[in-house]
Amino acid sequence: MDVIKLVLQILLGITSLLLTMLILLHKGRGGGMSDMFGGGMTTSLGSSGVAERNLNRVTVVLGLIWAAVIIGLGLVMRFSIES
Amino acid sequence: MFAAIARVFRTPDLRRKLLFTLAIIAIYRLGVYIPAPGVDYSNVQQCLAAGNTTGGLYQFVNLFSGGALLQVSIFAMGIMPYITASIIVQLLRVVIPRFEELHKEGQSGQAILTQYTRYLTIALGLLQATTLVSLARSGMLFPACDLPIVPDDSIFVIVLMIFTLTAGTGLIMWMGELATERGVGNGMSLLIFVSIASGFPSAMGAIATSQGWGVFTGVILIGVAVIALVVFVEQSQRRIPVQYAKRMIGRRTVGGTSTYIPIKVNMAGVIPVIFASSMLALPSMLVQFNTGSDGTLPGWAMWVQTNFSGSSPLYMATYTLLTIGFTYFYVAITFNPTEVADNMKQYGGFIPGIRAGRPTAAYLEYIISRITFPGALYLAFVALIPLVAFVLINADQNFPFGGTSILIMVGVGLETVKQINAQMQQRHYEGLLR
Repeated sequence: MDVIKLVLQILLGITSLLLTMLILLHKGRGGGMSDMFGGGMTTSLGSSGVAERNLNRVTVVLGLIWAAVIIGLGLVMRFSIES
Repeated sequence: MFAAIARVFRTPDLRRKLLFTLAIIAIYRLGVYIPAPGVDYSNVQQCLAAGNTTGGLYQFVNLFSGGALLQVSIFAMGIMPYITASIIVQLLRVVIPRFEELHKEGQSGQAILTQYTRYLTIALGLLQATTLVSLARSGMLFPACDLPIVPDDSIFVIVLMIFTLTAGTGLIMWMGELATERGVGNGMSLLIFVSIASGFPSAMGAIATSQGWGVFTGVILIGVAVIALVVFVEQSQRRIPVQYAKRMIGRRTVGGTSTYIPIKVNMAGVIPVIFASSMLALPSMLVQFNTGSDGTLPGWAMWVQTNFSGSSPLYMATYTLLTIGFTYFYVAITFNPTEVADNMKQYGGFIPGIRAGRPTAAYLEYIISRITFPGALYLAFVALIPLVAFVLINADQNFPFGGTSILIMVGVGLETVKQINAQMQQRHYEGLLR
């Protein structure tokens, strides 16, 4: 059980870091605060290039792995307490 | 009304956008219930049930994260780091000339500013995650509860938790951006809306069980009245007429139209209230840090605690004054009369009866400072509702109908419906609301 836990924890560390990096690579949308509550025009240009679309895909996959690892860790923890 | 909603779903483009937004919201709410690794979920639930959290600032942040913070879930930070980061970047425009330059540069400059905001968000997320994890580890998060929240507090697990929470912050930010880009409305504000709205049922339920159904009905009625008031004021604006001179550019005639500059009564939105309440949370935080291990307080801390806690008159007065002050401050930052006047002059526009250039700027400034006064009073009034309710019916500090929550909910709701309307009018001429 401890081996699985350690592997999952290391995996979680790596995916967390990668996910943060990838998200920072994205181009920001939305213009911050005045946009959020003050109204105003959001002109979102819908032209996302191939690079951006691939980045989206990679980020989504990584996000899924990240969530799965967290859930897995939670399960491991849960069962190790009971046993 | 219902026919209009059906029509929304029959429009393929709009349906896709709506469903995308709903999916993002669902993922966000799901993440709120997944505990961060290393956190003992059942212990946290027991501590939550025992109640008596530290209150003050945490309560406020918890409101924004939809209860995720106190559950120490993977989205515990919520949208708060992004809000803080964008406020900071916006305020830095006054301090750092380069930011002001970027802001004036238009689209490309704005993109750079947004990028700065994103980096700052991650940094703040890291900071807040560290704070939260150390609080949870030392048991300060639930002072009344002595179950261990983090059973295994080796340095490895702690660092892992901090990384995970930071990644969660980033993920929320990205989800908000995706919803802005491909969904309906502004994603970030929708996520805040969802967080706040998710606290409503339990807050209402608490009132109903602790105060009885009579008070409950009263609260609902007051709530509806407040919502009506907020909608009314948010929609009201003064229209300053602007006449554009006819010009010839090449062979085309440009201008010659008359439009108006809409000046909203409440131009600052909710931000002054957020500023004021976070400023006022500072004294009680100081008290908390200075509380001795045996629960005794130094003399000044006693004074602060009696005079700056929720229902004291001094607190309310300071709150009102701060809100009014911040309203003026924020309007001054966001609306620059000289800039508007210069822009109008450039395109050959003028306000009838006022000369272009400096007289126009002075006139705009006069109107702004006059119209902001009722706006500031209104903001202070709405912000005071939860405090008054706190005294009258002993409600929770997070009284659902008042202050920041109602302003944000109504603001975001109106904005989103307006956007859906605009989308529908591209096809059908008839919007969701008339």
